[in-house]
Amino acid sequence: MGDQFINVAEPRSRVTNLNVTRTELIHTPRLLRVGSSILEVVLVAALGSAFVFSAMAPLGAQEEERGETRVLRVFAASSLGTGLPAALEPWARESGTTLEYVFDASSRLAPQVAAGAPADVLVTADRAWMEWARERGAILGEGALVARNSLVLIGEAGPTSSSRADPMEAESWPSGRILLAGENVPAGRYATEALRAAGHWEALEGRVLRGGSARGVLESVARGAVPLGIVYRSDTVADERTRVVLEFPDSLHEPIEYFAAVVATTEHPDLAAELVATMGRSGVREALTSYGFGVWTGGTGLPAGGGPVAQPVLPDPRRAITLSLVVAFAATLAALPFAILLGWILARLEFPGRSLLAMVVLTPLVLPPVVTGFLLLSLLGSGSPLGRFLSGLGLDIPFTLLGAVLAAAIVGIPLYVAAIRGAFESVDPHLEEVAWTLGVRPHRTFLRVTLPLAAPGIAAGAILAFARALGEFGATVVLAGNLEGETRTIALAVYTLLEAPGGRSAIWVLVGASLLLSGGALLGYEVLNRRQRNRLEVRR
Amino acid sequence: MTGAGEVGARGGGVSGWPEIELAVELELPGLRLGLELITRSPSIALVGSSGAGKTTVLRILAGLETRARGRVRFDSELWQSPGRASTPPWARGVGWVPQHDLLFPHLTVRDNLAFAGADAEALAEVSAAMGLTPLLDRRPRKLSGGERQRVALGRALVAEPRLLLLDEPYSALDRSLRTGIQDWVRDWAARNRVPMVLVTHDDRDVRALAGETWELRGGVLAPLA
Repeated sequence: MGDQFINVAEPRSRVTNLNVTRTELIHTPRLLRVGSSILEVVLVAALGSAFVFSAMAPLGAQEEERGETRVLRVFAASSLGTGLPAALEPWARESGTTLEYVFDASSRLAPQVAAGAPADVLVTADRAWMEWARERGAILGEGALVARNSLVLIGEAGPTSSSRADPMEAESWPSGRILLAGENVPAGRYATEALRAAGHWEALEGRVLRGGSARGVLESVARGAVPLGIVYRSDTVADERTRVVLEFPDSLHEPIEYFAAVVATTEHPDLAAELVATMGRSGVREALTSYGFGVWTGGTGLPAGGGPVAQPVLPDPRRAITLSLVVAFAATLAALPFAILLGWILARLEFPGRSLLAMVVLTPLVLPPVVTGFLLLSLLGSGSPLGRFLSGLGLDIPFTLLGAVLAAAIVGIPLYVAAIRGAFESVDPHLEEVAWTLGVRPHRTFLRVTLPLAAPGIAAGAILAFARALGEFGATVVLAGNLEGETRTIALAVYTLLEAPGGRSAIWVLVGASLLLSGGALLGYEVLNRRQRNRLEVRR
Repeated sequence: MTGAGEVGARGGGVSGWPEIELAVELELPGLRLGLELITRSPSIALVGSSGAGKTTVLRILAGLETRARGRVRFDSELWQSPGRASTPPWARGVGWVPQHDLLFPHLTVRDNLAFAGADAEALAEVSAAMGLTPLLDRRPRKLSGGERQRVALGRALVAEPRLLLLDEPYSALDRSLRTGIQDWVRDWAARNRVPMVLVTHDDRDVRALAGETWELRGGVLAPLA
């Protein structure tokens, strides 16, 4: 009984009754295309500028030398950031040397120097990293002791800043979480050691968070992202945004000593050696003391083979992979209702602020993720009213798993919404109208017609958001820190391993996992996207 | 007995059938309508050239054309009137068969027919009459154009509407089925006292109906003799 009279020339355009939304069917692919072309431009620009920069840097250095100005590049622990340039300024002036500084965590500088970074002098904040560099032949000589430091617990400056707590009585400390520098960063290691030695580790472990450098800890406390932090005493000098809650006695940790050495690859070994020797002289010493560095009692060099060299703590790749999956799943799931709502609004509603809304939704795609993370931290840190409110509800976002999920969700939203908007736009609005005339109200129509028809496209969007969440780094590291087992996802683990000695094999495990997961996700995206197209096709 | 419309074209009618009144204006890009119509006829054939706005008239009656201004009345119910909220499409009880069948592609023929939540008996009756019984478990993409058109027609009838709005509902049906289905729909409508407005290009459709014929030309409705 088949119907041979197949209507071939069924016109697809509805001349008079075109709903306005129909004209926007092309919108989302374009949106995606704009997104990816923006990414392309950014990538090309980044590569280009990196190339130009690397080509020009040595050129510039050579030219300076012809101009008879001698330049030494000093890689120094970030805690020396304020003190060292001031202390060395007289020598630089006298000797006609321009000093260029790179300040960073010792754990980042020593490997860079060992990898051939263009440094002349290396100054680390502990013996371990200097020893590590020496073992690799990255420095000349043994490294000279140039300064000492001590640890303090700091809190935000406030009206109750007068009383000091007892380092041995953890109960007397203010409540709240305590941010420590990273476990491979000397400041973080010393702090762990001090808490252990004082017998507080067990009691405080749940409150302890990990960040990057000691400077970073100071900034986090100063901004109110965390209530407490452990930093060097020298960090707190001239900082009025924080107060010293207590000083840890030096007996609680390995002495905090700064070592300076001439880098093996320097082109000015004599000048660099002179600079290192100068650092040990009284003028520089006194200047450093005024910046809060400890009294120095006369230097022995780095004892050969002596002193315990701290074993670096390596991120666990399996934990990072599991955590990445947990974070990506949670972020994808948590963002789903919002992505559906926003996608539907952008696909179906006409209202004055629509373009603005579309732009706002797209923002995390074009904003540097680090900036997104900073904005979130400012909005949700314990320094903001919203952050305090959420914290009161038991929802601590900065430096928690929740923060990692939030960062991943926000950064994934643009792709998520774009894909879902496209899926909704591909559903003929006339189908919804038919459902209405059949007596089905709009919200039931949405559930029975629109949503099922857009489902494959929504799933494709979810996979895209999931893949984006897996790759998230910048916003996460700012908002959620880099806490092993809590916020250290694959990307963060790779980053941490890059600056931890002996992490190469673990990096490759993580690289393999990333390739596998992202490849799988993109394959799933393709399959679902095809299914979305098929689903709406009545005839093939 | 006709309604008390002072203005507008007036059709005849058969007593015992609901009265339909239309007095609306609508301006769309490339289309300007000023529609006036009152009738109590069991059927209205709506003719006119392509792009005259025939489909739009059906959409106004269905409550889908929200930009239309004016008055729409179905018997004692004022569906649309200036200064008050219109009755939404889902509360009007119209059976709209759009020109492009617009079946729900994710549902089987059975689920398409039963979309409005019909009882099994009505579904069985309509699907038998439309020749759809062997196709109930198929999906729309596996159907021919004519089959899909019959599903769309059946879907509207199963919902037990009070007004049928048919937009070229028989155009894809082959000759052998066409007359039978046309007659069955007309009888069904007569049995249930459901007036129908039928957009068509086809004289056979016009002749098959016993009611009035109105032409839409230049944005205005006028009864044809």
